[in-house]
Amino acid sequence: MSADRSPAGSRVGRGVPTTTTRPIVVDRVACTGRGICASILTEQVSLDEWGYPVVRTPQVDPELGEIAVRLCPARALSLGVPS
Amino acid sequence: MTVTSTRADRSTTPSSAGPLADLLESAGLTGRGGAAFSTATKLRSALAHDADVIVNACDGEVGAAKDAWVVEHHLDELRRGAELLGRRVTVAAHRGTPTARRITAAGLALLEVPHRYVSSEESSLVSLAHGGLARPLTKSVPISLGSKDARGRRMRPTLVLNAETVWRVAQIEALGPDWFRSQGTLDEPGPRLVAVSGAVARPGVVQTSAGVSFGDLVAAAGGFSGRPTAFGIGGLGGGWLTAAEARGATWSGGDLAAYGLRVGPGIVSVLDDTRCPLAHVARTLTYAAGESAGQCGPCMFGVPAVAEDMGRLAAGTADRATLQRLRGRIGLLPGRGACRFPDGVAGYAASALRAFAPEVAAHLAGRCDVEGRGRRVR
Ligand SMILES: Cc1cc2nc3c(=O)[nH]c(=O)nc-3n(C[C@H](O)[C@H](O)[C@H](O)COP(=O)(O)O)c2cc1C
Ligand code: SF4
Ligand code: SF4
Repeated sequence: MSADRSPAGSRVGRGVPTTTTRPIVVDRVACTGRGICASILTEQVSLDEWGYPVVRTPQVDPELGEIAVRLCPARALSLGVPS
Repeated sequence: MTVTSTRADRSTTPSSAGPLADLLESAGLTGRGGAAFSTATKLRSALAHDADVIVNACDGEVGAAKDAWVVEHHLDELRRGAELLGRRVTVAAHRGTPTARRITAAGLALLEVPHRYVSSEESSLVSLAHGGLARPLTKSVPISLGSKDARGRRMRPTLVLNAETVWRVAQIEALGPDWFRSQGTLDEPGPRLVAVSGAVARPGVVQTSAGVSFGDLVAAAGGFSGRPTAFGIGGLGGGWLTAAEARGATWSGGDLAAYGLRVGPGIVSVLDDTRCPLAHVARTLTYAAGESAGQCGPCMFGVPAVAEDMGRLAAGTADRATLQRLRGRIGLLPGRGACRFPDGVAGYAASALRAFAPEVAAHLAGRCDVEGRGRRVR
């Protein structure tokens, strides 16, 4: 695997068999700060004083992550490459 | 700082990527726009994707002036450098400036950029070049590989390079990497421009290299015009050194790293003892608050909040709780915007609290020793 630094996630091997966690990514332009993500991903995401998410640990349980992605009203959440 | 990240890069690149990239790699050229990324690496990616080229001559940072100087004095070399880098070249400059006029007069394609701090960030420029707004974009894919615009349409892969960087490319091509490496330090080779402003007799652009002493930088700008108290390094994306710290340091990544700073976009501004440093910092942050593109909540609300807290501190109306809240608000800025503007602002504010710790303590006690000359400020 090359060590190319440019494309996002290119250093993660494609052949990784099991997925334990996936990183949650917030599109900051799209996010409207309603905080549904924080009420689902209680361990990893908190809200700042204006209601915008603070991702304490990006690695989340993939199932909970999928739910948060689906319920985010602004479609601002996505899950990155598993690790 | 990883400015000479050459060996690792080579292993990843096709050998067909072009002799110019190899030349830039042996010269150790890194971007002069602030982030100091390897120009050879960026160029290889650009060549592989037949990227458009945007030369960033905006001088968008607070105190910046060197790219206007390059356009004024070395436009032919700048053009030559840009033509070496790609087939479709545009030069970006702020609307209505002498720099913009010079670019047009020389027959180069001009990208007219609105006057806003974040409009000269690379994805802002690429968005503008594709008919969109000059606002930073969420980068799903790096800009160099063709990210998507605000409506989700794919944009052309684009190589954005600072104007001084492009001028250096032309020089390296003409004079060779050994000439380039004969100046500067091992870690930060090559000549560099620094805009020196503030309390100096002749503010302007100085031709120098990393490793120069602050004393020599100031001497090249005509010497101090007042009693220096602090050195602003790198504008709003940088931070502060006290005058005493600057006496013991050189302008180099190695020395500046001890203070969380770097040579960045080549800006040094001298503060003298007629101005309260906290008031100056608060004013700069208030300016910053108006410059956020207002797209991302943490930046849109966080930067003004940091500016307000700093304003209270400077006015002598802050208590320990305000200071604690300010530190917390600064800590929440980095990594929470589509661009790195809030990261830069956070670094600037944190650096001010560090360098001006005695002034912070005085203001918390209700005194300003500079503008108030020891009198109570509230
Ligand atoms: C808010 C913001 C403003 C910026 N303004 C400028 C600018 O005015 N000029 C510039 O060269 N780079 C600016 N940059 C950096 C560019 O995004 C980009 O990294 C740079 O032009 C790349 O050139 P280089 O690799 O030659 O340094 C800015 C970055 C940010 C986050
Ligand atoms: S649920 Fe979506 S819109 Fe709401 S705060 Fe989280 S990321 Fe932002
Ligand atoms: S982080 Fe701030 S300046 Fe950057 S895109 Fe978001 S709102 Fe605009």
